[in-house]
Amino acid sequence: MRDVLRFLAAWALVHESADEGWRAAVTRGAGLSPGDLERGPDDFVDGLAALVDAEKERLKRDLAADGGGVAPTEGASDRRDADLTAALEAVRFDLAELRGRIESLQTSVDALHAERDD
Amino acid sequence: MSARGRAIAAVALRSGASAAWRSGFGLRPRAERRRAVARALRLACEALGPTFIKLGQLASVRPDLVTPEMVFELERLQDRVPAVPVDAIRDVIRRELGAAPEHLFASFDPEPIATASIAQVHEATLAAPYRCVNGRLLEAGARVAVKVVRPGVARLIADDLAVARRWAERAERIRWLARWGPNALLREFESSLARELDLRVEGRVGDRFAFDFADDPLVMVPAVVWTHTTRSVLTSEFVDGWLLSELGEAERAGIDARALATHGAEVFMRQVLVFGRYHADLHPANLIVTRDGRIGYIDFGIAGRTTPPQRQAIAQVLVATAYGDAERALRASRALGLEVPEAVEPALRSGVARLMRAHLARSPADVRGFVTGFLGLLAEHRIAIPEGYGMLVKALVTVEGVARAIDPDIDLIEASKPFTTRLVAAQLLRPERLRERLPAALRAALAELMA
Ligand SMILES: Nc1ncnc2c1ncn2[C@@H]1O[C@H](COP(=O)(O)OP(=O)(O)OP(=O)(O)O)[C@@H](O)[C@H]1O
Repeated sequence: MRDVLRFLAAWALVHESADEGWRAAVTRGAGLSPGDLERGPDDFVDGLAALVDAEKERLKRDLAADGGGVAPTEGASDRRDADLTAALEAVRFDLAELRGRIESLQTSVDALHAERDD
Repeated sequence: MSARGRAIAAVALRSGASAAWRSGFGLRPRAERRRAVARALRLACEALGPTFIKLGQLASVRPDLVTPEMVFELERLQDRVPAVPVDAIRDVIRRELGAAPEHLFASFDPEPIATASIAQVHEATLAAPYRCVNGRLLEAGARVAVKVVRPGVARLIADDLAVARRWAERAERIRWLARWGPNALLREFESSLARELDLRVEGRVGDRFAFDFADDPLVMVPAVVWTHTTRSVLTSEFVDGWLLSELGEAERAGIDARALATHGAEVFMRQVLVFGRYHADLHPANLIVTRDGRIGYIDFGIAGRTTPPQRQAIAQVLVATAYGDAERALRASRALGLEVPEAVEPALRSGVARLMRAHLARSPADVRGFVTGFLGLLAEHRIAIPEGYGMLVKALVTVEGVARAIDPDIDLIEASKPFTTRLVAAQLLRPERLRERLPAALRAALAELMA
């Protein structure tokens, strides 16, 4: 999602002066709160325009901060941290689940041994 | 015919006769006849034991297969069965876990806390500490629930299924019965039952559910003690509190019932719309309100699944329903496989709008009434119900039942509005949706930029 926004933001940045309609949509969209979609698609586009605009401002700041380079931004590294944490949690769960399966199987093996030795 | 086959046939005949009597030999009004048949079927399932009780429970979440009357009658199936003597339970534990319960646990209560058709549950305490899948440590002495499959149940079910297989073969050769695809149905049922008989499956579903809701302080899922769990024994953390089916005024006074009921509905929405795995047969005997005011989930028998595109469509249906928009609800239902012939579309739409006004536009909304009417409407217009759709619609009614058990005045529609609305707004911003909804000019500009 963020990538798409970034992409649209880049587009909006390049076309900064282009579209009056777009600017108006941004203004209207900024006044919406999440879930306000009474007017359906129109509200949606306004909301999107506002989101893209916010992302555009961020992009501008990022570009200014690193002199136009493409180094990862602070926002991006936060994002990567969050992704990594989530991935780590998921793998940790899979591993723990596997341990559970093994413990259960070991119990079954031990039980069969005990039964044979009885 | 085997002895068991004869016994089953006898019960079937008896309940057929009773249904015929109660429906005035077909002379009573149709709805009444259907109710009589549904009731006879439920009693027959109860009389025939575990295989049929489970069959009934599975059918009760499948309005795509059975009539609405049947769905709401079968959910009342009770499996009150006498307790298995503790010595027999002890034998199962010794065989499955390799030692007697006295050696495996610090203590083991010989009185069961619950008996059901397939399993019996005893309370015990851990002899040694255990690290659960979610990383938490259960101390030695921690209370646990030990669920044990009743001895002989697997055998009985296998015998019943053998009889059922022969009948399905025969039914397959009778034209009006063959329409139902008895063989395929039976196979589906067999695999559900097999999953239910292997308690490790339930344990894993529970662990996964706990992982999904790890960030939710109000959800409590008992952790599984895998060293004391095998196919026929499931040991899990004890959930201390009140079963929803037993929650009275006094208990309600001590918790924030409204908030908890609303939260319960949200948990369900998250299962369906975010994780794609949901409880299809939540009922008040499977949920416990803990003493510290959380919701404990204990039974993970029948689970439904949703794919990402289905989740989007479901969210649309839910929001449209919440806002009383019949047209949009039906349009989004189409994406879920509901095929409405053009000729009946207007009648169906106005029927749904009428049901929405009658059941949902009042306070508190009556989801159950709405769903019952809706299923009836589909049957009346002979519109087939896709499997996943039926299960979901039924699950919604169940959630309302559960939420009401916590807070009798809750309005499920109002309670779920903020969540579903937020979700749809977020969903609309997904890349795949963007392409659909962006105005043409913007789309063209994008295409040019990407070329
Ligand atoms: N972890 C637990 N902590 C406390 N009580 C429990 C626990 N697990 C099960 N119980 C008790 O045992 C009862 C039956 O458990 P469960 O629903 O898992 O069995 P079941 O055989 O699947 O029942 P059903 O046929 O109703 O689905 C519950 O209603 C509850 O009273």
